[in-house]
Amino acid sequence: MHFSEDDLREALKRKDPGEGFTQRTMGSVNQARVNQSQSESKPVLAKPEKKSNGAFLGWLMHRPAWAIAVVAILLLAFGIGGYQYSEYRHAEEMRIARAKQQQLQQEAERARDQAIMALEIARAKMNHVLRHAQLQAEPNDKIRRERL
Amino acid sequence: MEQTAAFEDDRLNLALNRALTGDAQAFADLVREHQGMVFSIAYHFLQDRSLAEDLAQEVFLELFQSIDRIQSPAHLTYWLRRVTANRCIDQGRKKHRRREMALEEAPEPTTVSSHADPMLLERLQQSLATLPERQRLVVIMRFQEGLGPAEIAEVLEMPVNTVKSTLHRSLADLRKGLTRKIREVRYAFL
Repeated sequence: MHFSEDDLREALKRKDPGEGFTQRTMGSVNQARVNQSQSESKPVLAKPEKKSNGAFLGWLMHRPAWAIAVVAILLLAFGIGGYQYSEYRHAEEMRIARAKQQQLQQEAERARDQAIMALEIARAKMNHVLRHAQLQAEPNDKIRRERL
Repeated sequence: MEQTAAFEDDRLNLALNRALTGDAQAFADLVREHQGMVFSIAYHFLQDRSLAEDLAQEVFLELFQSIDRIQSPAHLTYWLRRVTANRCIDQGRKKHRRREMALEEAPEPTTVSSHADPMLLERLQQSLATLPERQRLVVIMRFQEGLGPAEIAEVLEMPVNTVKSTLHRSLADLRKGLTRKIREVRYAFL
C-alpha cells in the first residue's frame, strides 16, 4: 500500500486541544504568576551558579554527525594508543629477555673459566705428586739393581 | 488573502505587545492561537493525549516566563516550535514512563477529507510512532507544520542536508513500516 504526501499531511493534521486546555493553561500561568510575585516579595538568596557540565554533551546530542565524528576520533586515538602501548610492551619484553640471555652467557663463560682454572690447578698438583713419587722410587731401584 | 494575513499578523503583534505588559487576556489569546500547533506537535510525537497536553502546558508556562525575550509573532512561532521539539525529545528519553491509555486518547474525530482513507491515516500515525525521535520530529515539522528543510534545520538545530536525508529516510521507513503492517494484517486473516 502506498501513501502520498497529502495522506501524510492529513494524518498529521493539527488537532485543537479545546477551550478547556486554554483555561487549564491560564490557570497554571496565573498560579505561576502568583508564585512569582510571592517569591519577588521574599528576600532572594544568592543561588549557586549552575555548572554547565552537560552543555557540550547536550550540544553533541543534537548533532549526530559531530557525535559520530567525535566517537570515531576517540576510537582512532584509543586504537593508536593501544597499538603503540602494545609495541612498547613488546620492545620492553624483548629488551629484558636479551639482557637475561646476556647475563646467563656471562655467567656461563665465568663458570667455564673457573673450570679450566680448576683443571689447570689439578694438573699442576698431579704433576707435582708424580714427580715426588718418582724421586722416592729412584733409591729403591738402585738398591734392587745392586742386590742382583 | 494577503490582507487577511496582514490583519492576522497585526492582531498577533498587538496581543504580543499587550502580553509583554502583563495582560493575561492577551496571553490567553496567544495561547489560544498557538495551542493547536504546540499540542499537535506533542501529540503526534508522543501519541498520548494526556502527556501531550501536559507538555503543551509546560511549553506555555515557559513562554509566560520568557515572554520578554519574544520579539515578534514569527519569532514566537519559531520559539514555540523549538521549545516543543526539545521538550518532546526530553519526554521521549523518559522511556520507562507508564503508558496510560486514557479514554480521551482515542484518535480525534478529525475532519477527514473525502479522498482520505481513515485506516491508512491510522496506520500512518502508528508507523510514525515507530520512527526514531529525530526522524519523527522532522516528519512532523514537514507535514504538520509545512516547514521547508531550511526552517526545520533552524528549529531542530540540524544541518540542512541532514534534514533532507532524514526526511528521505523517514519516508522510506514509513513506507516499509506500512507495507509490513499490511502484510501482518493479511497474514492474520489467512
